[in-house]
Amino acid sequence: MASILGSETHRLKADVAVIGGGTAGLNTALAAAEAGADVLVVDKAHIQRSGAIAGGIDHFFAYLDTGPSWDTREAYLGWVSRVARGAANIKIHEKVYCDELTAAMERIEKMGVSLHQPDGTILRTQALGQPGPIAINFDGKLLKPKMAFAVKKKHIRVINRVQVSNIYLHNGEFAGFAGYDIRNGDFYEIQSKAVVISTGNTNRMFKSQTGNPFNLWYCPANTGDLHRAAFDAGVELANVEYIRLTIVPKGFSAPGFNAFFGMGGKFVNGLGQQFMQNYHPMGDKAPRNMMVWGALQEVRAGRGPIYVDVRHLSAKDLAHLFLQLGIDKDTLPEFLKAKGYDREGALIELTVSEPMQARPSELCGSGIKIDETCASNVPGLFAAGDASDQMGCLHMCMAGGYAAGKHAARYAAKVAHHAPLPEKALDDERARVFAPLLRKSGMAAGEFENIVRIVATDHFGPYKSEVSLTSAIAKLNGLDHFREDLKANNLHELMRCHEAMNIQSVAKIVAHAALARKESRFVPYHYRSDYPETNEDCCGLVVVRKDGETGVATRFERLHYDA
Amino acid sequence: MTAVIDKGKCNGCELCALYCPLDVIHMEDGIAVIRYPDECWHCGACRQDCAHDAITFQFAPAMLGI
Repeated sequence: MASILGSETHRLKADVAVIGGGTAGLNTALAAAEAGADVLVVDKAHIQRSGAIAGGIDHFFAYLDTGPSWDTREAYLGWVSRVARGAANIKIHEKVYCDELTAAMERIEKMGVSLHQPDGTILRTQALGQPGPIAINFDGKLLKPKMAFAVKKKHIRVINRVQVSNIYLHNGEFAGFAGYDIRNGDFYEIQSKAVVISTGNTNRMFKSQTGNPFNLWYCPANTGDLHRAAFDAGVELANVEYIRLTIVPKGFSAPGFNAFFGMGGKFVNGLGQQFMQNYHPMGDKAPRNMMVWGALQEVRAGRGPIYVDVRHLSAKDLAHLFLQLGIDKDTLPEFLKAKGYDREGALIELTVSEPMQARPSELCGSGIKIDETCASNVPGLFAAGDASDQMGCLHMCMAGGYAAGKHAARYAAKVAHHAPLPEKALDDERARVFAPLLRKSGMAAGEFENIVRIVATDHFGPYKSEVSLTSAIAKLNGLDHFREDLKANNLHELMRCHEAMNIQSVAKIVAHAALARKESRFVPYHYRSDYPETNEDCCGLVVVRKDGETGVATRFERLHYDA
Repeated sequence: MTAVIDKGKCNGCELCALYCPLDVIHMEDGIAVIRYPDECWHCGACRQDCAHDAITFQFAPAMLGI
């Protein structure tokens, strides 16, 4: 019991610490180590299988300059400008993705994962508003374990199963962070000259299709832990007003969208009619938000449910499709089989997924606001991957994660000494972290989290207005007193308690940010019923920052596009 | 319902419990146990890492029935 209360304390130092060992974080760690930094990776799960691609991944977006005009850097950036307009900063995109793309692809191959088909060719498909077939289909089943192996080979220090609970600054600059081991209760106090946060988004904030909050498209372990901690430390966030949704198989929120429609599946309604041309000129290859929007309108008009029709595909294409589905989500093919979708002539029923706090497009992020060097407004604190406001998806996490590591190492090299951590605040943090274990009775994390989910879903998941958002903030604030009642019976439940509180905190930030965007954009990801039109004056970022003890300050930063 | 471990096939190597991204699998008496079945993401990492084919998946009625 003594160790469960955190009596065993580990005090560690590093040049560059990486919080979150998913795709972005491990690429960050590799880059920083290659630049000569002493690197420490901290992960809430285990880097072998943590993050969005734990069980596999099947697509990598890349232009390859093979000749056609769609296969160029310019065409790619045109795509970004079209489908992430008002959220993606093109200058940052060029630095963290375009300039790093070739090296990122070489890195994947060097890790022992091929972007090629078994016959040596590169197979690419088109969906999601892409200018041409730029989605490389590949077998990334082992990409995450191979990435973890690359980290191990470089002798990079890794601490698995540690949930980071708070971040500390010294004289306005990053100093370090605290956390605890969810398996043995040890407490960690870590100083680093620079930190890169790459912990993804907040995926359990809204109700899911089956009612189980872990039946999600994206990884349910990502609960905004570091969005909350960074925000509390004064770090600016951006693009957090957007509520992402996608199209998933009915009953199982698994990926598959890109494979279904990339392979030529037809999106049909309950009457068997294709409908996407009514909503977007690219039809079934429209940007993701428009596919969701079209589906929602069809269902609302009484023409649901919605299906993907793959009956016209050749046997060879069908075989490839089901192979890709199983690479992206290991258990999806047998789920589809259990539903009877392998029968001749069957339509596969789809649905709109759970909402989530995440990027409004494949081509940007939602979270810590970064510049061209992946730096936040707090010196020494960097962000990468989905946790940043500018990166998302495998292609950007591989490329941009590496960029962040280079910049963090460069920064750390210029810092002479580690900044001190505040002793008193660490003692307070230790007491705060373990408090739910000491209560004799109280509320379970799941109950608290469920209330947050209901409020978030009812008030801004995804439809919202000034009235609904103001009401949501009042209700979410009203839950604060329950935080003192949360009860954990073991360390696993303790982690869930902190996750639940973090989800609640991020939900408040999201609602504040959504209030500030007085327009609709990427519908339905930000659909304000009181401002239903997109307004060119709002083409840019809503940047949020902590103001006082409980407040949220917002400012607007305009973004510019050539096209 | 979720990942299901065949106790007869599990040799206690601990890999699934070590790597499970949701901290769902724990070791009990030398055997891997799905301690938090409702929190399974169905990512299939445990099954891929099991050298003894001890792990299969069952889908909840709510997944198959809606």
